[in-house]
Amino acid sequence: MTVLTKNFRDIELRIAKLNLPQGDWATEARTDALKRLRSVGMPERRDEYWRFTRPDVFNQSGTPPATVSAMEKEIVFSQVDALQIVFDDGIFNAKESDTLALEYVSIDRLAESSSDTHWAKSLYGQLETNGQKPVPRPLGSLNTAFATDGILVLVKGSAPKPINIIYNQKEETSDVTLHHVVRLEAGAELTILESGPAAARLNNVIEVDVADGAVFHHIRTQNNTKDNHVATHIFARLGNASTFKSFTLTINGKLTRNECLIEITGDDAVAHVAGACVGDGNFHQDDTVFITHDAKGCESRQVFKKVLRNGAVGVFQGKILVKAGAQKTDGYQISQSLLLDGDSQFLAKPELEIYADDVICSHGSTSGAIDEDALFYLRSRGISEYEATNLLTLAFLAEAMDEIEDEDLREMLTRQLEGWLERHRG
Amino acid sequence: MDSIVENVVVKDGVDQETVDAVREVGGAYKHGWSTDIEMEYAPKGLSPDIVKLISEKNEEPDWMLDWRLAAYERWLQKKEPEWAMVDYPKIDFQDQYYYARPKSMETKPKSLDEVDPKLLATYEKLGIPLKEQLILAGVDGAEELTGAPRKVAVDAVFDSVSVGTTFRDELLKAGVIFCSISEAIKDYPDLVKKYLGSVVPVSDNYYATLNSAVFSDGSFVYIPPGVRCPMELSTYFRINAENTGQFERTLIIADKGSYVSYLEGCTAPQRDIAQLHAAVVEIIIEEDAEVKYSTVQNWYPGDENGKGGIYNFVTKRADCRGDRAKVMWTQVETGSAVTWKYPSCILRGNETQGEFYSIAIANNMQQADTGTKMVHLGKNTKSRIVSKGISAGQAQNTYRGLVSMHPRAKDSRNYTQCDSLLIGDKCGAHTVPYIEVKNNSSRVEHEATTSKVDDDQLFYCRSRGMDEEEAVALVVNGFCKDVLQALPMEFAMEAQQLVAISLEGSVG
Amino acid sequence: MLTINNLHVKLEEEDKPILKGVNLTVEAGKVHAIMGPNGSGKSTLSYVLSGKDGYEVTDGTVNLNGQDVFGMEPEERSSAGMFLAFQYPVEIPGVGNMTFLRTAVNAQRKSRGEEEMSAAEFLKIVRLRAKELKIDADMLKRPVNVGFSGGEKKRNEILQMAMLEPKICILDETDSGLDVDAMKLVADGVNSLRNSNRGFLVITHYQRLLDHIKPDYVHIMADGQIVKTGGPDLALEVENNGYKDLLAGVA
Repeated sequence: MTVLTKNFRDIELRIAKLNLPQGDWATEARTDALKRLRSVGMPERRDEYWRFTRPDVFNQSGTPPATVSAMEKEIVFSQVDALQIVFDDGIFNAKESDTLALEYVSIDRLAESSSDTHWAKSLYGQLETNGQKPVPRPLGSLNTAFATDGILVLVKGSAPKPINIIYNQKEETSDVTLHHVVRLEAGAELTILESGPAAARLNNVIEVDVADGAVFHHIRTQNNTKDNHVATHIFARLGNASTFKSFTLTINGKLTRNECLIEITGDDAVAHVAGACVGDGNFHQDDTVFITHDAKGCESRQVFKKVLRNGAVGVFQGKILVKAGAQKTDGYQISQSLLLDGDSQFLAKPELEIYADDVICSHGSTSGAIDEDALFYLRSRGISEYEATNLLTLAFLAEAMDEIEDEDLREMLTRQLEGWLERHRG
Repeated sequence: MDSIVENVVVKDGVDQETVDAVREVGGAYKHGWSTDIEMEYAPKGLSPDIVKLISEKNEEPDWMLDWRLAAYERWLQKKEPEWAMVDYPKIDFQDQYYYARPKSMETKPKSLDEVDPKLLATYEKLGIPLKEQLILAGVDGAEELTGAPRKVAVDAVFDSVSVGTTFRDELLKAGVIFCSISEAIKDYPDLVKKYLGSVVPVSDNYYATLNSAVFSDGSFVYIPPGVRCPMELSTYFRINAENTGQFERTLIIADKGSYVSYLEGCTAPQRDIAQLHAAVVEIIIEEDAEVKYSTVQNWYPGDENGKGGIYNFVTKRADCRGDRAKVMWTQVETGSAVTWKYPSCILRGNETQGEFYSIAIANNMQQADTGTKMVHLGKNTKSRIVSKGISAGQAQNTYRGLVSMHPRAKDSRNYTQCDSLLIGDKCGAHTVPYIEVKNNSSRVEHEATTSKVDDDQLFYCRSRGMDEEEAVALVVNGFCKDVLQALPMEFAMEAQQLVAISLEGSVG
Repeated sequence: MLTINNLHVKLEEEDKPILKGVNLTVEAGKVHAIMGPNGSGKSTLSYVLSGKDGYEVTDGTVNLNGQDVFGMEPEERSSAGMFLAFQYPVEIPGVGNMTFLRTAVNAQRKSRGEEEMSAAEFLKIVRLRAKELKIDADMLKRPVNVGFSGGEKKRNEILQMAMLEPKICILDETDSGLDVDAMKLVADGVNSLRNSNRGFLVITHYQRLLDHIKPDYVHIMADGQIVKTGGPDLALEVENNGYKDLLAGVA
């Protein structure tokens, strides 16, 4: 007789108040996901991949409250000509959303597609399943099983404009589980933008299947209030000569865990994952990235920069796995943190696991305070210490921000950073 | 070692002489022979009785036996660690001998003259004659190289017992204690009681706990305040008996302002059945003292199909207790079927320094999971890690390390460079560093690269007449240069040749 | 304009005095050169004047146009008209040279209660000044000093000097690492900035820079003090006989 360990007791606690949606094409995938979850248990601190981040808040049944911002929220991507989709506390807001129609693109909602068959059936929960090895991602399985909504996007050509998903938090204790599925057929192109705090506690999954020659861009800002708890997963599969680029800017939030699991299955594909975060005080931000090279001649880049202050904690766990036969792999990974004061922390585990010889893989990781020589140089030219610190902070983040290809989008996010620096004068 | 060319000068990186030396050495694992000698074994398996027996054989006081028995109880409750990237058949801890000593060692020889000639011949053959000669044997040119006669004191451990220790009297004159740990327990109980288990606690990890229960011998070093040890100290470990585990324990104490350089070598016969080696090394470094610890680990690696070889589970840790204490670990890991080893530095005092230089070569079916921990506790502490991993054949080679900057370790620095080289498409090279920074006045820099042997370099060498294997040896030696330079002269020479031998059969 | 009075300085970390009573006055419109052997305290003087951390002033005062310099932050000194051309200009990856210059110019204007310079006006002036110093557009776009050659870095320092229009310019070993042509270019840049309102303090080890930037006074510094003062001839004396003879003469 085995005694249930904490991981397994937590599951029943966590799902006690949840209902497994029934009766549509996704039911089987949801049931399987619950089985997967029950086989691995909820995450625990002693799990290797949770050693730097406490998962407790994602395991408990109740949602710790997060203040709803009283300020009129500035919509980051409001200037962008995009198809707008709005979720308030995870509930689709039809009034503020555009008609779900775009040339070359078909868009459905998970909650609205109750038929027996759907193109997404072969993907929903499938990429998440692939992402469970070698390390379990229980929060991903939890999401597949219980997601209440999300969008299902099938792209057959070059989308004329981006899809802009806007999340609003309305209730102090909202607990939201959303699951998006995106499939880009051969040669298709799409950009997805995401912004806003979705809920007091959010569990968000995006599964992205990028077929041969297709191009997917993803730009996300997580502008949370100071109490939000967020766990996101991107599960992506890349075909021949395809491109996947994802960038995330995290501002505020009590706990943010962004996992990105990419499986490169086609030759000559490109995968870039990047992120910048700025945190002050009670802020814990964790980027966990796992890129599997299972094809020849592919390139992957991971670029993460963190600016931390007042006891804020930044975590980076990044891995490049090059399977046997994945020759000519070019893998690069950099994670750096700028600690603006003595209370902040940076915890990192940048890993390489390589089973092919004709590869060039490298990673670098640094942590330190602001460069005193540079600071003095700027000040000796009449720039105030505050302004000089901001300049150097933005310069530090620049390598990550440069991963955003679109100049206008990069500019918008840089303004977000400047705003944060302005609001958090040292 | 007679094949070494005389008057070899170790230049930066590698040179033609190295290649010549490598060419002459030839042959695969060359310490695979065994000594036919009458042995006395404890019964197979592990139990409180075996622990008592080992203690009894070493004529230990009660406190030592109690310590061992407590460790044994702890061990029973512990689980074998599984996190390392090594895969080996489950070890049957009851199917091992935990104590084996040559019959002739039943009464401890009073001097080296009384030691069984067969044992002396064994070490002679390994290039470590147990004579009080000026220089470490096997390096005929060493005197010329260093410009001064160099003495190296040797403690020779054969299976479970220390056979003899050279230069003891001369060292004692300088105040330096150098003897086997079994003697130290009897002769210097206060020192042993004070320091044993103070760096690697009994319950530190599965193998350290096992070692604490059953260690049979090893070396003990005490350098008194202000003393610069007049010669290099070394311990040579030889596993000879079959089915026997070697559990050695080394304790080095460098008191205030002292200095010692310590060398360690290890070999074992070629046998079809894997053997266990679980050692613990503890180093205590007080204020302003400095210890250099160099290892050339050349245990039998098993054959090309992975049969036999030593399972090497080692816990080595240095505690820089006093301010400005310094430690430098240098290791060349070429042997063993499985290596699990993380020589670590606790930088407790202010302005302490830790360095770790490592070459780990895994060929054929070898698996190595090795690295270091740099734990910065004191202010203004510095650490440096240079790790060079080479994988060939179907081997798996992992660097695993931790750099930790505690909140009060203000103004500290770490630099880590960790490079992997792959030879052939069946092997693996992995890097698993943990970085934990908890203050902002410290700077941590970590860099790692993985690549294959550069084709252009190989072609260049071959166009100058080297065959492929020589060219690889040359290029790999160049790749390892930063670490080879950190080794004491005698070891650097041996290491360069080992690099070449270890890679034999890796090309083509 | 700049008055240094009995300046004593030691390293903060160790108890090691470096400047042991420096007295010097630089008047508007004049060029003062300080020469001296390595380790005499020349560079320390420049750092202490501009406010770098790590030095402790144990005695003495420095006065810039009536203001106590030691009561000011580095940026306040800069806004008050002090400019140090660094011996080793710092590389700042990620900060564009233009952004840097514009931020500096406007920060100083703001602190003086002046209007910020418009982007167009700024661009016009930068381009003009850059052209004079043979600094091409590419150098202006690149991050501050990153990947610049030794000569480019020094020209960039002079460009900043030209843009910020300081009252007192301190040149710390500006000639180090420059070939003859680069030195001439830099010296021409400096000479074009000479006027009756601006003072210069040129710190150098060799006389050769002073062939191009003609000083009004030459001071010899040794062991933390100015041990000899003279006209331009003094520099030639150093060139011909070295410091050794000169210092022996002083002692």
